[in-house]
Amino acid sequence: MANLLHARDINSQSYPDFLDPIETASRGYLDALQEGALVSTSAHGYRYAPLIRELWDGSGIKPSDIRSKADFQEKAPFLDKDMIRAYRDGRGDPSGGMSAAVPGETVYIGTTSGTTGDPTPVPCGRRSPSEESFARDQWYFGARPGDYMAWIMFTFRTGHRRRIMGEMGIAELLFSMSPAEMPRLCEASRIYRPTFMSIMPNPLILALEQHFERSGEDPVDVFKSYKGALFGGEPLGERLRNLTKSWGLELFENTALGDVCGASECRMRNGFHAYEDLAFIECIDPVTLEQVPDGQIGELVVTTLVDRLTPLVRYRSGDLVTIDRSPCGCGRTHARFKLLGRASDQVLVKGRSILPREVLGHVECHSETRAGLFQIIRTDREMDELALRIGYDLTRLKTDVAELHARLHDRISTAFDVPLRVELVDEQELLKLGPPHKIPRVTKQ
Amino acid sequence: MNTTTHPDAVGRYVVHGQSHFFAIKRSEIERCGLAAARVIATFELLPGRFVLTISLMPEIAQFGPFESGVQLLGLLGTNADLSPYEATRVEALVRLFDVAAICGIDKSVLDGLAMIGKNAAEIFKGRIVWARPDAYALVAAMPGVIARRCVELGPVLGLECAAGEGMHIDGREWDISDAGGTIRLSSRAYRIQPVTDLDTGVKGHVVGLPCSCGNRDPLVVLD
Repeated sequence: MANLLHARDINSQSYPDFLDPIETASRGYLDALQEGALVSTSAHGYRYAPLIRELWDGSGIKPSDIRSKADFQEKAPFLDKDMIRAYRDGRGDPSGGMSAAVPGETVYIGTTSGTTGDPTPVPCGRRSPSEESFARDQWYFGARPGDYMAWIMFTFRTGHRRRIMGEMGIAELLFSMSPAEMPRLCEASRIYRPTFMSIMPNPLILALEQHFERSGEDPVDVFKSYKGALFGGEPLGERLRNLTKSWGLELFENTALGDVCGASECRMRNGFHAYEDLAFIECIDPVTLEQVPDGQIGELVVTTLVDRLTPLVRYRSGDLVTIDRSPCGCGRTHARFKLLGRASDQVLVKGRSILPREVLGHVECHSETRAGLFQIIRTDREMDELALRIGYDLTRLKTDVAELHARLHDRISTAFDVPLRVELVDEQELLKLGPPHKIPRVTKQ
Repeated sequence: MNTTTHPDAVGRYVVHGQSHFFAIKRSEIERCGLAAARVIATFELLPGRFVLTISLMPEIAQFGPFESGVQLLGLLGTNADLSPYEATRVEALVRLFDVAAICGIDKSVLDGLAMIGKNAAEIFKGRIVWARPDAYALVAAMPGVIARRCVELGPVLGLECAAGEGMHIDGREWDISDAGGTIRLSSRAYRIQPVTDLDTGVKGHVVGLPCSCGNRDPLVVLD
């Protein structure tokens, strides 16, 4: 293999900080670009996606009514996942009326994780917007031609068709999303010395922790070539952030930008970067549907500006966010957003808003529950008590279950100051609720 | 800048229970896709039909060419992981897309379907199913299922055509032999990671006669 490892050595030239100059474009340039793209996206979505056409016809809106961003924000109907699912189930259309069957462009159909139901199809062409945003993120984090990166992923997203890293001259070290792969990841890291890793979710970090505890392998040596790793799937708790930091591995959170593409935080840790040439983002009051000013909490609404195969137009993501359009310290000018949680996950207990992200730190800080596996039992949006189901590791039990229960109850009820009911279960039972990289954080029962 | 000696991806193959890293270029995958397309084409699927590939990300050398062949034929690919946890996805994809063919089923996926209370025979009825060795007999026993074998021979995926006389191996890409009772493999074309006389550990023999599908590539029959 030695002959494969020297490409980085001959790449001594320097590269620009950003893969595409658009990342540092002025606000005026971005606004103009978006205005034109919104007009064409509206026309394309109306022409090719039957659900969009149905929604717009139902509202009496035609693409020709959209001549500016103001027109778009005033007139274009909203779309959400329930509408897509209803269309899918009612019409027998797997894409839920969102697949624009542009002849010759669709290459394959990826799917979402399917945590809460049938996976949603994501038609993809030769290069998807997600690959574009991913490539920019990798470049920002420091991956360059001649490098290796560790790519840990399910096949249901793209299968074996991803080209973007290869086209950048970066080789992907491929791993499945399984704890059993972690020893092989460590071996590959020592052989190939990759620059970056993606995606590293909670269960794999825990598997690595166990691997290092059992094998005695030095994590600092394993990860010494890494400039960072993307963390995704769920919120990142302080314990795991600090744990990986002690290994010399810096984690950056990644999330979906309303199913349009990906978004990652940068080294400034000022929120997720939304590439505004790929997507137009808005923040609305989820009840009144009125626009919410930047900096205030609202629901993220996303419109693709480039995806011809899934032309999501004014797609309500269900994510509660705040948006900041000021330039970032990293040099990029596009908007950032802070993710507070999913609107459908929010519970109001005695008037106090609680989201899974807020609970995580109070669960993962105990040895027995360090995996941070828990569910909020949400029988209604407004409830009289906070009900939690928490998974614990039998092998790490210090005294007995009652003592652990009391410890968790004390900490969480003190933190939230609301009536609390805690149910403890073997964490293996929660893991069965998969997919393996995450469990539903909110359940009705 | 010279990245011609740099791979596009590093997957893996397993021989005798031992995992080995295997580097590959995208151009190699697409080159091998031609032979895969020829095998898939024997089933005469109409363009636009769906084909589900069940594999793991490191199996790029084996299943990447298959996906490339699917695309060359105008078929639409979709994917699930090789895992019992993916049984829900497998069932949903087959139902939603009325998939014509499924490649890469193993016993763990069948177990997963059973765990979620689904009848694999009903799900696969009327479809082409390329099954891995530990699942082949079970799939072949399902009424109405067009069962064919697929086997990983080191970094290569052997795939049966409609005739089902053995697994086709891309003869332009690989030299194969059955010396010692196991299939051995050498690369013929330029590769970023060449293979020389690799003992795949798979017990079988090579059939040199042309397949009745008209393909003159060598066939591997398991012993």
